[in-house]
Amino acid sequence: MIEVKDLSKVYGSKTAVAGVSFTVKAGQVTGFLGPNGAGKSTTMRMIMGLDRPTSGSAIVNGRPYSAHRDPLHQVGALLDAKAVHTSRSAYNHLRAMAATHSIPLSRVHEVIEMTGLEAVAKKKAGGFSLGMGQRLGIAAALLGDPQTLILDEPVNGLDPEGVLWVRNLVRYLASQGKTVFLSSHLMSEMAQTADHLLVIGRGRIIADAPMAQVLAGSRQAVTLVRTSAASQLSSLLVGNGVKVDQNEPETLKVSGLDSRQIAQLALEHSILVYELTPQSTSLEEAYFELTRDEVEYHSRVSDGSSNQSIAAPAGK
Amino acid sequence: MTTTTARRSAATTAGPASNSPAGTHGVSFGGILKSEWIKLWTLLSTKLLLATTLVAIVGVGAITVLARYAIMDQMISMAEESGQKLTPEQMEQTFPPGSQMDLYNLPNSGLQIGILVLGSLAVLFVASEYSTGMIRSTMSAVPKRIPAFAAKAVILAVVSYVITTIAAVATYLIAIPVFAGRGIDMGWDRDGVIYSIFTGGLYVAGVALIGLSLGVLLRNSAGAITLLVGIFFVLPIASSFMTFLPGDFWKYVPQYLPADSGGRFLSIGHLDATIDPWQGGLIFLGYVLLFLVPATFVLKRRDV
Repeated sequence: MIEVKDLSKVYGSKTAVAGVSFTVKAGQVTGFLGPNGAGKSTTMRMIMGLDRPTSGSAIVNGRPYSAHRDPLHQVGALLDAKAVHTSRSAYNHLRAMAATHSIPLSRVHEVIEMTGLEAVAKKKAGGFSLGMGQRLGIAAALLGDPQTLILDEPVNGLDPEGVLWVRNLVRYLASQGKTVFLSSHLMSEMAQTADHLLVIGRGRIIADAPMAQVLAGSRQAVTLVRTSAASQLSSLLVGNGVKVDQNEPETLKVSGLDSRQIAQLALEHSILVYELTPQSTSLEEAYFELTRDEVEYHSRVSDGSSNQSIAAPAGK
Repeated sequence: MTTTTARRSAATTAGPASNSPAGTHGVSFGGILKSEWIKLWTLLSTKLLLATTLVAIVGVGAITVLARYAIMDQMISMAEESGQKLTPEQMEQTFPPGSQMDLYNLPNSGLQIGILVLGSLAVLFVASEYSTGMIRSTMSAVPKRIPAFAAKAVILAVVSYVITTIAAVATYLIAIPVFAGRGIDMGWDRDGVIYSIFTGGLYVAGVALIGLSLGVLLRNSAGAITLLVGIFFVLPIASSFMTFLPGDFWKYVPQYLPADSGGRFLSIGHLDATIDPWQGGLIFLGYVLLFLVPATFVLKRRDV
């Protein structure tokens, strides 16, 4: 259980985290999603007591992380795969970490085996690939068999097998009643792994809901329409709350009408429609919807013209 | 509303031992010491550095021993040519106290090498954790931070002390047969020998603690080592020019600087217009604290 209350972090004139409050519950995987620079890592570092909050508090398993007498058994964290001395072997790194809590060497061997590091355990960590570095970071996080796991971008740099392994591992740990809090910018990964979603943008929490709810409630249903008379149908459909989006020839994305109403209209005007598919919102779309105003670094790629109406922020 | 209930339920389940996995230990200072010990000895660079240091201190010490003997031998020969026959006691008295030619401080002949290498090692011990990111792992395991810093300090002080002391004893063992040739008794009971062996290690341990503090304060190996060398090697040279300044005041300043006060701590006997060894020791201890205390404070407060 992680409880964050009014947490904020200001670096000089830049606010990295602006008063976020949320609770990460035990027994489920909570995803932490947000664009680069949104404050994910800073929030996680403040929970771990590495960064001092400008204001607010972060409580893990009932008390601030630094107030625990057995921190590694409370929280295992992968905040930065490079938090390892490059000239020390993986085995010795884990051995030194374990020694602080008198964790037996047998556990060191266990986590090495769990993370598949046996072959490289005696090699210098500085020579590790990104994926191996991630595995070592996860091994270190698991050392104390902690109640709570905080993983910042754990699948970054992992091969598909490694991605699957992390997914199964965090799902298993959550099923054992542990608290799992992981961040990712890979939305597809998040959709498959997380039960609950926290979306952060520009240092603010912009969504805090179960994954299913985020996917369902994000926006109006969209219907994909393929027709030989796209412009004609488009002009018939548009208006009166109906939005039409055309990005490809002969293809329309219609929101505000269901597929039956679209078919009816096409029939009345003798327009050939050769595909009519209700679209389920992907997490990706839901995410873009949520973070549209919150992205720190916009890439200037022009949207379809009708997207501009969606882009206009409701609150301004 | 939900947060208050969540908070309450967390508070009731958060007894100190209740949510720790069974059969586990908390973080302990002994464990942190062991961790830092492992960290020191699992870097090849450390092992090589310490082995070379030992050899270098004894090596430079041996050269100094031979050089002093050669000078002494030459002066005795010159005296003999002019018809004088010197007793071993008279030979020694050719060199007044404070002339840098005393024999009791031969164990510390190679001390400057120890200061340079062990001081730099101390800088690297913590600054390399900052440069590699290891510090975040260290501070995650020991989130109270100060115990980790204290453990590093203890390990470095002990290792520096032990290595310097072994080297000092070895240097003196080389000096004994060399000077025996002129009939000078170099027994361990000679005034100041045991004292200089004992204090040499303390001085180098102090330098290591200053190096560790600089490593924390600057988080940068190159900068911290440069500063350390500046304090212990450049400043003494620079300060020696102060004696050329007009007025008596500047003549008394250099002895209060870190290297000079620490060096004075290693010698015995009273010299006019000079601080006594124990005062030098206290002043040097003051310098160690002057670096250690801000480093501790900064380490506790700063983001890692």
